[in-house]
Amino acid sequence: MRFENSGSPENPATKNATAVEVCDLSHRYRVGDRTVTAIDGVNLLVDDGEFVAVVGPSGCGKTTLLRAVAGLLTPSSGRVRVLGKTSRSARQDRALGLVTQDPGLLPWLNVAANVQLTLDITGRGADADKRVSELLERVGIGQFAAYVPGQLSGGMRQRVALARALAHRPRLLLMDEPFGALDELSREEMRLELLRVWEDERTSVVFVTHSIREAVLLADRVVVMNGRPGRVTAEVTIDLERPRSALLEDKPHYQELVSRVRNLLFAEPVPSNASGQVALGD
Amino acid sequence: MATEIPGPQTQRNVLGGQTFGNILMIAVPLFAAALLLGVWEVWVRLADVKEYLVPAPSAVFVALSDEPGRYANAARLSLTAALGGLAAASLFAFILAVAMAHSRMLERALYPPALALKVTPIVAVAPLFTIWFGFGLAPKVLIAAMITFFPMLVNTVVGLRSVDPSAHDFLRSLDASRWQVFWRLRVPSSLPYVFAGLRIAVPLSLIGAVVAEFLSGSAGMGQLILVSNGDFDTPALFGAVFVLAALGILLTVSVALVERKVLFWHDSSAGV
Repeated sequence: MRFENSGSPENPATKNATAVEVCDLSHRYRVGDRTVTAIDGVNLLVDDGEFVAVVGPSGCGKTTLLRAVAGLLTPSSGRVRVLGKTSRSARQDRALGLVTQDPGLLPWLNVAANVQLTLDITGRGADADKRVSELLERVGIGQFAAYVPGQLSGGMRQRVALARALAHRPRLLLMDEPFGALDELSREEMRLELLRVWEDERTSVVFVTHSIREAVLLADRVVVMNGRPGRVTAEVTIDLERPRSALLEDKPHYQELVSRVRNLLFAEPVPSNASGQVALGD
Repeated sequence: MATEIPGPQTQRNVLGGQTFGNILMIAVPLFAAALLLGVWEVWVRLADVKEYLVPAPSAVFVALSDEPGRYANAARLSLTAALGGLAAASLFAFILAVAMAHSRMLERALYPPALALKVTPIVAVAPLFTIWFGFGLAPKVLIAAMITFFPMLVNTVVGLRSVDPSAHDFLRSLDASRWQVFWRLRVPSSLPYVFAGLRIAVPLSLIGAVVAEFLSGSAGMGQLILVSNGDFDTPALFGAVFVLAALGILLTVSVALVERKVLFWHDSSAGV
């Protein structure tokens, strides 16, 4: 099941475009005098407007995949297309938003200025004040605009990070374990917050996580990565209705999907001759 | 963008303890200094120490109050040289640090001469500067700059490199230019290190100026010490030392206050 509302309304030409297209992506890096292969022959397709979660154990190369999509690293081989272009030119179009586990806010700027920074850099400063306060309201920290990050809790900092990554209306939001460093209650809260915000902003999302429940709750499709080097070993379409809420977790179908993903994650090791996807979940 | 919600800084006032704490912060060191001078005074009087060896603090204050203009003028000259040298060194160190932080190759090329400058004893080059530049301000500024350059350079290089990788990734994801990354991220990130450098360099700059005066005999605190020493006027010499100590403390406290204002966001600003 793919989502109807794809493509931003002000740009109908982009409809049905592919947000992310990764073909046979491999990346090796050197550690001392050893060469480590982080990911090997990874394929990934993300439709425009689709929310895709990438799940996998630590060290399976999820972050490497995301960084390659963001153009933050140059892969050893393979092809990455973002919105039909190289990730570099997608970035130059200011089409990317990035949220990482460590929020990386600028500690000397207050919350509003941190969000404003995105608009300054991307040159979308028209009506900036309005956009900033609207975003801060949306992520639930409107009354903390004048605080500096050092005065905020981890969950609140991550809200600022989300607001600033969305400020310039990117068409692709890349999230790398954004709630990984938060306590369980804040995580829970932030997932629902993200769902709400995403319903409003409707960008394409690649969401890297090692939480199965998080992936199923949020995504349209869950991509399972496994092994060292990491490969995509399965994917599961999450045909749960939207808008979703916390109540979903009690539904049998949700639990069924969670255990399906879990079984795929802990399935027997991938045969070494596998090239990319060996099992498709659906 | 301002809201009415008070930040934690203002909330601290509610406790009412801050004013008392501030008074204590100033009162305790003053009391300690007074105690030290008191013990000194009593010791000199009881042991009947000769004034040309160690004068009593009261004798030093008499020497200071006899010719306040002489001390003030010398202090002004030394301070000008020290701050001028520090400013020149900081500026030059910043320019060089930018180059070095951008390229490891440049760092390797520039580090040896910078280190050579650091290990050169100023006592050895000061006479040379006097020959080259005379007895005016220039050689003093140059020596103060020479002595403060290295700590400023090293700290600024480290500071410009110490950028939060997540913040850097985020700016890159927005396709920020190198220029934007530099001014918006690198320079503010370097400030805690720059201030750490200043805390070392500020007292050094004063030492540099005084040593230059001492060696060349040009007017300032160093010359005042030199002359007092020649005259066996030990109270005047101690007066000069007192003035220098006061200047050093004043400069250090000023830097700490500015640092606290500028680095309100940084852990280091909690203590002075």
